[in-house]
Amino acid sequence: MTTVVTCPHPPLLIRPLSGTQDVAEELRAACLAALRPVVSAGPAAVVVIGGADQPGPWDVATPVDVRRFGTTGPRTGPGLPLSLGVGRWLLDEAGWTGPTELLALSWDTSDDDLEALAARLLTHDDVAVLLMGEGSTRRGETAPGFLDEHAFPFDDVVADALDSGEGSELRTLDEALARELMVGGRAVFRLLGNMVAPTDRPADAVLDYRDDPFGVSYFVATWKL
Amino acid sequence: MLKLGRSEFADTDLLVMAIVNRTRDSFYDRGATWSEERALDRVRQVVDEGADLVDIGGVKAGPGQAVAVEEEIRRTAGFVARVRAEFPDLVISVDTWRHQVAEVVCGEGADMLNDASGGHDPRLAEVAARHGAGLVCTHTNGAPPRTPPHRPSYDDVVVAAVTDTVALAERALALGVDRSSILIDPAHDFDKNTWHSLEVTRRLDEMVATGWPVLVSLSNKDFVGETLDQPLGERLVGTLAATAICAWHGARVYRAHEVAETRQTLDMVASIKGDRPPARVVRGLA
Repeated sequence: MTTVVTCPHPPLLIRPLSGTQDVAEELRAACLAALRPVVSAGPAAVVVIGGADQPGPWDVATPVDVRRFGTTGPRTGPGLPLSLGVGRWLLDEAGWTGPTELLALSWDTSDDDLEALAARLLTHDDVAVLLMGEGSTRRGETAPGFLDEHAFPFDDVVADALDSGEGSELRTLDEALARELMVGGRAVFRLLGNMVAPTDRPADAVLDYRDDPFGVSYFVATWKL
Repeated sequence: MLKLGRSEFADTDLLVMAIVNRTRDSFYDRGATWSEERALDRVRQVVDEGADLVDIGGVKAGPGQAVAVEEEIRRTAGFVARVRAEFPDLVISVDTWRHQVAEVVCGEGADMLNDASGGHDPRLAEVAARHGAGLVCTHTNGAPPRTPPHRPSYDDVVVAAVTDTVALAERALALGVDRSSILIDPAHDFDKNTWHSLEVTRRLDEMVATGWPVLVSLSNKDFVGETLDQPLGERLVGTLAATAICAWHGARVYRAHEVAETRQTLDMVASIKGDRPPARVVRGLA
């Protein structure tokens, strides 16, 4: 059985960035609550996968470059892409010290590549997967992407899929619309859909969290495949 | 590290010292806290607004009605005891130049003595040492207490302020006052005209560079009024601008009437300096 946890990757999950107040406390708690049982089950490795402009594997020694976004901490030099950086940060907070693989996925990865990657991930059932992705960024007039009414039905489809463990809707997400709605999870959601493709039996799924406190759709979900 | 009363403050802490006058004639509040109950209400309010210290004074700084030692003690000592009882951890300063007053208020729980006279009464520092109290060493250019400036002039006002205050600080240290409880104050407007006070502000980093923690008393003073041509009651903006500059230069304690506004100004500067995280950052990070 492979466990897949899906978490969003706003910089706000990196605690020092929001200043004195912890504005993402609830979301962070949901992410960590999803990750801790996975980590404590002692998988052979955790594979972190997130969207990025440049695809490819990243060295696990690459730092999380917090300073790029803020704080007065030391400059680390070039670090992980945001999605992988937040994933790394959450894994550290969840207490994971074991082997980790970091893989950046192009936002518009082809179906064939996603299918192949999904197959590879499923060959090792003692490996846990952390997918970093979020929904639309256009859920209100103060949202980073302003308001687009299409955001709501789009995110509902993603949420329903994450909750039900069904892969088909995720596999066939409307890529053009996802790009338009600034959906940061558009590649990893499609990957997740591909992970249930071989049998098309729904995953044992729990949608642990869904909210949009700042106009961006955040989901935390756990799937067992 | 600054050690005042029961409190220790980190080098990056910027502290607000709220003015609490037990006088009828102080230039700004004009007797608003003359009654003890009003003064106690003021203490409660300033603590609520974020004051780290209160500075209790029984004699107007400028010229005015003569106040005998006994009367100054009557105005301050019992009040210090009441504040101490209600706020066990609040740093209590008393604004006095007289050792007799200092002796009594320290006995009642005062933590420091704000000697705005520049050491006019040399025994004041001895009292501070004996009671383990802090001491503010102020530059007055030798002017007697309560004397307004009349044609003051300096070869270099900052050098004069540094030389005199450091000498007072070293003397206090030699008498046994704790090094971490001694502050120096250039004393804006004290035997200084507006040009002098502006220059002291502009070059406050030279005082900070002495290593002695610097206290500034800027609140609603005439140099602000003259600079902006604003009467009393219209000097808050100028006061806060000067506060920000002093904070940027590294002053540590800010004697102020308007506590909430001063606290916000200092918090803003501390965050710009990188010493204090902003309260709540969301823009662009969601």
